[in-house]
Amino acid sequence: MIRVVEPGPLTTVQDLGRRGYLRQGIPESGPIDRAAFVLANRLVGNPDDAAGLECTLAGPRLEILAPGALAATGAEMPLSVNDRPAPRWRTVAVRAGDIVSLGLARRGIRGYLAFAGGLDLPLVLGSRATYLRGQLGGYNGRALRRGDALRLGAGRPAPARVVRAGSIPRYDGEAAIRVVLGPQADRFTPAGIATFLEGAYEMLPQSDRMGARLLGPRIAHARGHDIVSDGIPLGGVQVVGDGQPIVLLADRQSTGGYTKIATACSVDVGRIGQLRPGARLRFQEITVESAHALLREARAALDAAIQEE
Amino acid sequence: MISPELNAQVRALEHLIRTRGVGGVVETVPSYRSLLVYYDPFVVAYGALIAALRELLPHARPAALPPPRLVELPAAYGGDLGFDLDAAAGKLGLGPDELARLHAGAEYLVHFIGFTPGLPYMGGLPDRLAIPRLEQPRTATPPGSIGIGGAQCCIYSVESPGGFWIIARTPLRLYDPAAVDPVLLRPGDRVRFRMIGHAEYEMLAAAVAAGTFAPAITPA
Repeated sequence: MIRVVEPGPLTTVQDLGRRGYLRQGIPESGPIDRAAFVLANRLVGNPDDAAGLECTLAGPRLEILAPGALAATGAEMPLSVNDRPAPRWRTVAVRAGDIVSLGLARRGIRGYLAFAGGLDLPLVLGSRATYLRGQLGGYNGRALRRGDALRLGAGRPAPARVVRAGSIPRYDGEAAIRVVLGPQADRFTPAGIATFLEGAYEMLPQSDRMGARLLGPRIAHARGHDIVSDGIPLGGVQVVGDGQPIVLLADRQSTGGYTKIATACSVDVGRIGQLRPGARLRFQEITVESAHALLREARAALDAAIQEE
Repeated sequence: MISPELNAQVRALEHLIRTRGVGGVVETVPSYRSLLVYYDPFVVAYGALIAALRELLPHARPAALPPPRLVELPAAYGGDLGFDLDAAAGKLGLGPDELARLHAGAEYLVHFIGFTPGLPYMGGLPDRLAIPRLEQPRTATPPGSIGIGGAQCCIYSVESPGGFWIIARTPLRLYDPAAVDPVLLRPGDRVRFRMIGHAEYEMLAAAVAAGTFAPAITPA
């Protein structure tokens, strides 16, 4: 059991998300940065889809009520146990009475906390992920609050593990986001497409789990920005009337009526979700085949990222 | 282009995919005239998936869709529940009662559910009620609000921004996160509105909150 002493600005329970409900308008939710989330679970011997916490900007302060293990990954939020610094990207053993806290992010914006055994919450439509706007899943469909009590599942004792130094993302500098053009790339002028692929775009603070709002060179439409509404994929890049792109994320609307110039590759969606307001990215066009090759490489890299101590 | 025939084709293709099962397909999202297919590229390659879908396409026949459901939704028109009714009627050159009667007299087709959980995009609005969307979309529309805009009718499922003229409200919950099955309507459903007074609205809203009222759902 874990008691929430301080919840942090926006801390939600997530697992790998719910599948099959987009046709009812319910998004998959789940961690914005899936790779960091999966590594946290693997560090404590959990299956990849065990429920853990996604922390935004800063993490929570938690009281541990039973011995166990946890791991912190994702944004560089300093981890401490009883006010002493503890390592991130590594299994950390904890005892009953320990106070664990995850501080303000210095790089990146979304941090992850996994607990051996996973958070034991009811499955809602097949998942424990929180969908905030729909008040669905997770901990009563909402972000954590002070005093919440989180039960843990039965964890198997696992050896201490660590993510190799070379496999820890840095979350700094300008991000290169690979995209496949379409499905409405034909609704932009050639100059508009060139602007999109050449310009630098800045993350805006209005961004959330639904979408990353960006600001940069205006992308010119060929004939208006409205389409007959259709489905929006994860990573879909919508360009609305003001010519600015929005990358749609895990809690996105299932359908929409604005032109989509491109789709960001699954492997790069997490990187977008780690950009702080003011941080910059550039889009780079690739083919569907290259996107799938990247996905295979990313999966292999994830499998090779962890070693036992 | 928006047409019931085209939308039926989309739903028929989705139905085929769901009933036959296409290797690697994870989920599907129908809309007016397209079907978004999510797939796992570790299970099926892009080219192979496209080939499999192309092969299915000629077999997607609307006649093979399961029989539609008819869902009757109580709706209270005008006043503070349908706060744009008078303005919309003025814009259309109709009396408010006439607009409400025309709206409640029609049968609607749920083309698809989208945007927010459980929100139906419906066709079937009488031509006489076609109306441009609001010039200034409002930032918050209460759930249950029934709106018209263009040739469409929709029902807001959660509080959200919107550009439709709100002419009525239903006490039913189109999205209820506490329910086992949180979404009321399905793509392909037929919807009819039953005109109720504001007193009955309050009574039904209380019954819905108490879990003692369920909508009438019958084969269409």
